[in-house]
Amino acid sequence: MLATVMSEYFYERSGNMVKNYDAVVIGAGNGGLVASARLAKEGKKTLLIERHNLPGGFATSFVRGRFEFEASLHELCGIGSITGKSPLLKIFKEVGAADKIEWVALDEAFRLITLDGKCDCAMPLGKEAFIAKLEEYDPGSAPIVSKIFELIESIEKTLDFVSNIEDFKPAMIKEIFSEHTEFLKVANYSVDEVLKAFGTSQKTRDILNGYWCYLGQPTDELNVIHYFTMLHSYIIDGAVIPRGRSHQISTALLEAFTENGGDAWFNTSVKKIIVKDGAATGVILDDGTQVNAKAVICNASPYNALTKLMDEKDVPEKLKREVNAKVLGAKGFAVFLGLNRSADELGLNNHTYFIYPTNDNRKCYELGKKIDTNDVQATVCLNRAFDDCSPEGTSILYMTSIFAGDEWSKVSVKDYHKTKVAFAEKMIDNFEKATGVAIRDYIEEIEISTPMTYARYTDAPAGTIYGYEATKEDGIVKRIVFDLIEKGMPGLYFAGGYTTRHMGYSPSYTTGDMAAKAAILAMEKEAK
Amino acid sequence: MSKKKFSVNGNLKDSVNTVKFLIERTQFINNSAAVIPTRTDDFGVNKVARSLHPKVQNLVISRIEEHADLAKSYYFKSEGAPVAYFKAGQYLTFRLEIGSSVVTRSYSIASSPASALNGEYQITVKRIADGFVSDYILDNWSVGDKVTAYAPEGNMTYCPLRDAENIVAIAGGSGITPFLSLARAINQGDEDCNLTLLYGCRSSDEILFKAELDDLSAKNEKINVVYVLSHSEEEGYEKGFVGADIIKKYAPEGKYSIFVCGPGGMYKFLETELPKLELERKYIRFEVFSSGKKTQEEPKEYSITVVNRGDETVIKASSSETVLCAFERAGIEVPARCHTGECGFCRSKLVSGKVYIPEGEDKRRIGDMQFNFIHPCCSYPESDLVVRIN
Repeated sequence: MLATVMSEYFYERSGNMVKNYDAVVIGAGNGGLVASARLAKEGKKTLLIERHNLPGGFATSFVRGRFEFEASLHELCGIGSITGKSPLLKIFKEVGAADKIEWVALDEAFRLITLDGKCDCAMPLGKEAFIAKLEEYDPGSAPIVSKIFELIESIEKTLDFVSNIEDFKPAMIKEIFSEHTEFLKVANYSVDEVLKAFGTSQKTRDILNGYWCYLGQPTDELNVIHYFTMLHSYIIDGAVIPRGRSHQISTALLEAFTENGGDAWFNTSVKKIIVKDGAATGVILDDGTQVNAKAVICNASPYNALTKLMDEKDVPEKLKREVNAKVLGAKGFAVFLGLNRSADELGLNNHTYFIYPTNDNRKCYELGKKIDTNDVQATVCLNRAFDDCSPEGTSILYMTSIFAGDEWSKVSVKDYHKTKVAFAEKMIDNFEKATGVAIRDYIEEIEISTPMTYARYTDAPAGTIYGYEATKEDGIVKRIVFDLIEKGMPGLYFAGGYTTRHMGYSPSYTTGDMAAKAAILAMEKEAK
Repeated sequence: MSKKKFSVNGNLKDSVNTVKFLIERTQFINNSAAVIPTRTDDFGVNKVARSLHPKVQNLVISRIEEHADLAKSYYFKSEGAPVAYFKAGQYLTFRLEIGSSVVTRSYSIASSPASALNGEYQITVKRIADGFVSDYILDNWSVGDKVTAYAPEGNMTYCPLRDAENIVAIAGGSGITPFLSLARAINQGDEDCNLTLLYGCRSSDEILFKAELDDLSAKNEKINVVYVLSHSEEEGYEKGFVGADIIKKYAPEGKYSIFVCGPGGMYKFLETELPKLELERKYIRFEVFSSGKKTQEEPKEYSITVVNRGDETVIKASSSETVLCAFERAGIEVPARCHTGECGFCRSKLVSGKVYIPEGEDKRRIGDMQFNFIHPCCSYPESDLVVRIN
């Protein structure tokens, strides 16, 4: 208490600035940007603080030579190019960013190739098209797959209901139990358990599970609700890509925010979250400026919040236990290639390639703990979304891999460059082997990002790009339910990839919006 | 769904399983320790990331070596932490306060990556006409002085996945430094490529690091150094400018990549010479330099309103100098590094006004162009401006 009094005295009399806002947002990643844009739109005086010189966090792009590379986005769901169900577009419209972004709809889900030579399937987006194509690869599968899609749609209805809860009331539990029994039945099962209960063949399961690497969890453990909601948003609703790369979305959100009166300060760090009587009341910036706010939205990881931004005495026990219980998600690795031939000339016929050593995703996950044995990649040829993404006669290909575990921590500074080039080379070799397309001689520009790169730019612990693992104990259903029941700290709202919806573009935007709405609700309650 | 509702293990078991998760989750959280978790900075990956890309490096000048042609090499040790590792070909950006100006300037690292692991960097600065910062460095920096540098940056580095394994490096004047670093790295086994170095100077007495280059060329079969003198005919040297003929004469058999680092005049000459070689674009890489100046008949004076964290400052600017130049003169600090539009660190919002951006220097993202973000290091005012830097 004395320390608090002293620090107030110090900051208010030392000549350091004191600023007052309704809300302060730490970090201009996807969660922070949407939270800021929503708060400003709702008339809340908001300050957005970002360490870097540009917004977006992972959602950015970079230029090398005559190519502009997308840093992380493969496909964006939640824009609903097929069904028009567009929860994300709704958010972007409401905060004033939608008309600043140009979307390109995709028609292909993925081409799934395994290096063991057993699988090479190209799947389309759209429920009917997907079921029909699966029937071609696995004759007789259509009736069961149709039933699976019915369940996927039923689950989606429940999730819509839960998502629209802004102020939780116990009566809602009753509604869940009476109206959403399908959801409740499967809520604690894995993908494999549910698909097996349908009596699906191995082949059908392999193809349905193709997206597993986007969540980073093997399907014997991955919660079925989590995976099915993802299948819904991609396959049923459709996926898009922004023409100006994800940087266009990030900048559009920032523009919308500032147009609505928000203040954004870049090249600025938050040093401390101020906690008074167990509630967050503002932040202190790197230059000593004190920002008082009714709400602190934290788009920084809970690791950073707990270990860098808060004094140990201020951290609630629950937050400590949570962070310690959870497992850090996949660490990212990516190779960005600017090729000096067109996609047609090279034979790059697909937009999204999933290349796995085998369709046994548990095995892929375990092999993916080591640099030597990891052979997983999700690769995008951006020209298959829109061919003018690169100059005529060229193409852009970017390959992403994920690592479970933390083996990159063992790579020394001295070995760093060689290790990253060697792994990039293996990814290129695997791609050539799987697709039969030669790319090695056509590389005009190359950039390689490693867990260290993600750590550098986003301060992600261990270079994770997936927040926390969606383990059995920490799947999104459990996260959402417990988030409704109990909150971490009054005044402090987390947004982004470490929160209830797991990581990813759409979840991060969504949790940013949820955090802002929760903060606005609390402010309104306080005002009454 | 159809009337017969789906169940996984029967309705009862499914319900029990669902209720179970409340218990599982509670135990999962409660069984973990209520202690502060591992600090982000303590993860191995984050440590290496910070070591490779420190926010700032506080260096001390440990040694100064005088060269021919009014050039000096500065050697730096780090205060405390080891210096950041790098790839041969990268540069260091220094932050200097000169009078009321705050400037950043980049210099290619001449020392080898291995020497960074031993805690040392070397850069070489040459006196040039009208060199505001190079004059200051050459006249003021002394052994024991503390200087501020940022982490190594830059993309003119050898990558075996992209480049041919034979590199033909074309250097002019002090543009030799990134290739000296590369030659040293090859000799120390840290880079695995063959280097043919075509080093252009006016006369032999202007050649920097001649003894060491001769030694590397003689001892290491992967390194071959050829001196090309433009203003002096001397025995044992090529005469003229480095152009297509000299490249063809010395380039090894098979595929090769050309790397270029030197003064503006050399680039101009190579612009007409390199096409004669009919190489694919991927085999030609330039280290881009920019003077930050535009020659025109009559420079016009403008004002720039600089917005920083909501505060506004009005400064003077000239149409013949970049917006970044105006910032530097006024002591307004932006995190500039490369000064050529490439790194994007100085990216700022042009709130109002008009700037001229030379063609080919516009390395901005699509989204930045859409929303009027500029790279002040290669934008020239053409009206009064309002620029938001933070």
